[in-house]
Amino acid sequence: MDEGTRFLILSLGGETYALPITRLLEITVPRNIQKDAKLTELFEGKIEYRGALIPVLNIKKLFKLPGTPGSTLLVIKSGKGMLGLLVDAVTEILDSVQKPAPMPPGVVNPSYHYYSGVLRHKDNLVLLLNEDGLLS
Amino acid sequence: MTSSYLIFLLSGRLFGVRLIGAIEILPWRRSRPVPLSYSYVEGLIDYRGTIYPVFNLAQRLGVSKLEPIGFIAEPKERTTAGQSIILLEENGVPFGIIVDSVAKMTKLEEPASVPAKTTGIDPHYVKGTVYDDDQEIMILDFERLLHAG
Repeated sequence: MDEGTRFLILSLGGETYALPITRLLEITVPRNIQKDAKLTELFEGKIEYRGALIPVLNIKKLFKLPGTPGSTLLVIKSGKGMLGLLVDAVTEILDSVQKPAPMPPGVVNPSYHYYSGVLRHKDNLVLLLNEDGLLS
Repeated sequence: MTSSYLIFLLSGRLFGVRLIGAIEILPWRRSRPVPLSYSYVEGLIDYRGTIYPVFNLAQRLGVSKLEPIGFIAEPKERTTAGQSIILLEENGVPFGIIVDSVAKMTKLEEPASVPAKTTGIDPHYVKGTVYDDDQEIMILDFERLLHAG
C-alpha cells in the first residue's frame, strides 16, 4: 500500500480528525504523566516511552476546545521528535485512496500549520492534522 | 452599463454581490468547525464535490442584530432558522456566506462610489452603493472581505 493512504481517525470534542498512520507509534492509556514546569500549559507533562521522556500535548487545550484532556494517548513521530497526543478516542483506521483536499484559503492564519488537509469520510469532513506543525 | 446582482438581507440591511460564475443558495446547515480559524469562519461544507469555507458575514462586517435599547435582555441564542448560505466564488476561489434571507436577483447600474457614511460598516469592504426602489444597497468587495486582517 502506498504511504499516506491509511489514516488513523480520532475524535476530539465530538469532531473527527485524522493522522497519517505512518506516524503512529502507539495507542495507549495515559498514566504516570510527570509534571514538567519547563513545558507550556498546553502540555500535561511528560511520559516515559521506550526509555525516553516525551512531552504530552493536550490538543484540546491547543485547539481551545472545552472539556477534560482526552483519555487516549497517541504516541507519534513528528518532525520535532516523538510526541504524545491526548485525544478522546480512536475510532478507526481508514484505508483511503483519496488525496486530501487542501484547507481552503482564508480559513486559518497562514502562519498556523496545524492542518495538512481535509478528508471526506462518511458524509463528514475530517481535518487532517499536521503532526509536524502542531508545535509550531 | 448594468450587471446582475444578488441582493440579500443581513441584520436588517440590504447587501448585494455581483453575480459572476455559478452561484448556489442553500438553507442554513451546520458547517464543520475548524479550531483556531479566524473568528468569522463558521467552518467548512462539502457541496457537490467542492469544499467551501463558510463565513459569518455579519460578524465579519460587524453588523449584529438590532436589539431594543434601554433594557438588558437575556443574551439570546443565535438563531439560524430561515438563514441561507450563498455559495459563490471570487477570482476562482469558492466560498460561502451566511445571510438572513435572499431578497432577489436584479440588474443594477454600476455602484456609485462609497458614501462617507456607511453606518457602522468599514467602508474598506464596500465597493459602492446603489439604489433600487429607493432602498440603499451596499455592494460588497469580497476580494477585500476574504483577505484576512
